[in-house]
Amino acid sequence: MKEEQKKTVLEKYKIALQKGERFWPDSIYKDLLVSLAIFIVLILLATFLGVPGEPKADPSDTAYVPKPEWYFLFLFKFLAVYGQIPLLGKIEWIATAAIPALVILLLFVLPLMDKNPYRHYSRRIMALSIMAVFVTSMVVLTVISGIPTTSGNTGMSAMTLLQFLTGLVIPIMAYIIIVGSSFLSNKLKLLGSRLQKWTAVGGSLSMIVVAGVVILIAPPAAPSAEVQVANTLTEQIIAGQDLYSLNCVQCHGADGEGGIISGVQGLEGFNMKAIHSQDEMYTRSDETLGDIISYGQPNLGMQPFGKSYGGALSTSEIDYIVAFMRYTWDDRSVIPAGAVSTIPELNPGEVPSWDVHIQPLVKRYCVSCHRTGRQNNNYLMTSYQEMLTTGDNAPLITAGDPKSLLLTLINGHEGKDPVTGNVIRQMPPTKLLDPKYVDMLTRWVMAGMPQTAKEAAALAPTPTATPTGGVAPAVPTPTPTP
Amino acid sequence: MWKKLFAWLDERLALNELYKATLDRPEPKGNWWNTLGSASLFLFLLQGVTGIFLSVYYTPSPDHAFDSIQYIMNGVAFGWLIRGIHHWGATLMVLVVFIHMLRVFVTASYKYPRELTWLIGVGLLLCTLGMGFTGYLLPWDQKAYWATTVATSIAGSVPIIGSFIMKALRGGTDLSALTLSRFFAAHIWMLPAVLAGLIGVHLFLIIKHGESEFPGKDD
Amino acid sequence: MAGSHNISRRDFVKLITGAVGAIIGAAIGLPAIDYLIDPALKAAGKDAWVPLGKLETFEIGKPTLATFTRSTVNGWEKTVNSYGVFVLRSSDTDTLILSNKCTHLGCHVNWNVDKQEYICPCHDAQFGINGEVLGGPPPRPLDRYTGDQVQVTDGKLLIYFRGG
Repeated sequence: MKEEQKKTVLEKYKIALQKGERFWPDSIYKDLLVSLAIFIVLILLATFLGVPGEPKADPSDTAYVPKPEWYFLFLFKFLAVYGQIPLLGKIEWIATAAIPALVILLLFVLPLMDKNPYRHYSRRIMALSIMAVFVTSMVVLTVISGIPTTSGNTGMSAMTLLQFLTGLVIPIMAYIIIVGSSFLSNKLKLLGSRLQKWTAVGGSLSMIVVAGVVILIAPPAAPSAEVQVANTLTEQIIAGQDLYSLNCVQCHGADGEGGIISGVQGLEGFNMKAIHSQDEMYTRSDETLGDIISYGQPNLGMQPFGKSYGGALSTSEIDYIVAFMRYTWDDRSVIPAGAVSTIPELNPGEVPSWDVHIQPLVKRYCVSCHRTGRQNNNYLMTSYQEMLTTGDNAPLITAGDPKSLLLTLINGHEGKDPVTGNVIRQMPPTKLLDPKYVDMLTRWVMAGMPQTAKEAAALAPTPTATPTGGVAPAVPTPTPTP
Repeated sequence: MWKKLFAWLDERLALNELYKATLDRPEPKGNWWNTLGSASLFLFLLQGVTGIFLSVYYTPSPDHAFDSIQYIMNGVAFGWLIRGIHHWGATLMVLVVFIHMLRVFVTASYKYPRELTWLIGVGLLLCTLGMGFTGYLLPWDQKAYWATTVATSIAGSVPIIGSFIMKALRGGTDLSALTLSRFFAAHIWMLPAVLAGLIGVHLFLIIKHGESEFPGKDD
Repeated sequence: MAGSHNISRRDFVKLITGAVGAIIGAAIGLPAIDYLIDPALKAAGKDAWVPLGKLETFEIGKPTLATFTRSTVNGWEKTVNSYGVFVLRSSDTDTLILSNKCTHLGCHVNWNVDKQEYICPCHDAQFGINGEVLGGPPPRPLDRYTGDQVQVTDGKLLIYFRGG
């Protein structure tokens, strides 16, 4: 900038100052209002959206798909789009290092590069056009960052081509036209700046339109698996209890008591030692317990459960199981209030319901085997409907029938398959349920298997009568599901 | 009495001069877009305050980082608020800094005599992004762990010195306790120190040259 | 005369101040740099033969993920990291072992059964069943364990893993 231009700039500024305001309090007052608005937004975000929960870092989870913070998403997407260029796309450092470094450098030297002495927007068409295209492409890349660049077929597909267009081709063309038209001779200056203006507008609009098309034709994103994060110790122990019921009960028993294993391939008849004893709990640290669950004990027949050894449990899930074991069996641990999901006790005359009583009971003692993928004569117990309708010998329970197969089995009697004549063992096979739970299931069946607490309350007889006798009246079920 | 006390203090601290130089300055007619710089400063201070509070309970080690944050969120009174403000404050700060920069670009405020203010500003933007990047790892959850793994591999793709940069960032070949503790140190000591220093220079330059006026048709 | 003496004395003091500052700066600064980058200069973990499991457990014709864990000492702490390889047995004797680390930026690739391709979820890289690049950003095929890096003893498959 020439000295005289500098002088005019400073003089103009002096005039502007005279017509202006005071920093304190005029400007600070405005700043304060804006900051206050931001502060209120922050409080609202913290209160109503909070911070989304995530499971603990698990270096053994080789399937996790990483995502950067949202303000780096455009860069992340840029890498993917750039990588689709044949040949040049293979030189990854151009996109990961050279281009970002160049952009930062350009930002740094912007005041030295921009020799244009004018400040009003009408005289800075070129600079504004470039920035408009740049910002639009950043926004567009961020918006489409969740959509895969390829649509299944190897090589160039319509999807790849469109993302190419909006993410790379249009902005690059726009930059070339804008910079190129600045070389137009003096005569055509007006034409040049018009061309720049319309390139910026057209380029930005077409990027937005193409991105819109990309979003429209994108295959619906697979619903991301809901991750259950147990936050407090209480939640962790309960989560651990559920995981223990699913994964461990078959061999170790519902309370870690062990016993003769039955129904597990390869371990039939093996006498499993108890794992809930003081000996076990006092001599094994949490870390050891976690390692045993994760690696298994292949020589003793225990398969690995940890993801890093081919099992299905993540590090956090194993931590939860260990927490459950520690806090329920180790008498040195003080269990936090509410940390055990107990099965509610029944009052005399109360009718149990699926939601309140039977589901936790079944979850604790039965679901370990009675779910898909296990040997269970196809009798599943993971939901109310399944419990009533599934099984090779369905129905296992009939409202008001004390001879229902399920009741026979849990009372320690053997049953007989009416078709094949095969003997069906008592259930659960290793150790019968506590009598109060047998009573609970009996009462539930006798009352007609109510699902919700409300239905159960409606079925309850007058408080004095006890329906545990053998001759309960057949009550019509409110939800008949044969 | 108060007047006397003030006069005594003013004699020694030069309060009046300070007031005239920093607060009682003339300014061009203000514009609401011009408040975003102060908003960034406000967010920086807010991040500083909430960050200091978070460090009371946070433990930068792989064994305890996640659990200590769970404790802040669920165990400590108003922990959710402090962490929530810090979490969303980071997001808003990046956004506000970016829009502030765009405003400066559109009004061409980076031109004479404010070139250096812009240059320092770019440095501030990079530091802010650096704060976001280092802060992202600290909760030591899945997202943090794997995003940082990939982000540091990006540094590793630079030819020749790439793998050295990656190892220097990670403090070893893989993400480990060393990575967490050096990101923590960068997040709470190094980057804030640089940020504070640059903010100081930025503010000095603004006071020295005054806030730029909104450009008129003949500018 | 006196004046010029004064000035040169002043210059001397300036010089000394600058030099002392520089020495103190260098004395703390240079070790500090080494202090900060030291972990990057240390030798990486040791190479070792790693068992992947019984050979017969890997189905013929289907890439199967095998994971293994290596624990290294990083600074004061033991770090356990998991690594994965895809094992593809094309016949009883031929085994192809590919690292599951995408050669682009190190995300983990997955075997997609429908497309019969390895797909990297980060930047949409595609690799063929033999690890060759089919599309996307990766600069080279998936890393292979070949020849003397693979051995079978007592029916167990082992690979020679290079730490770091």
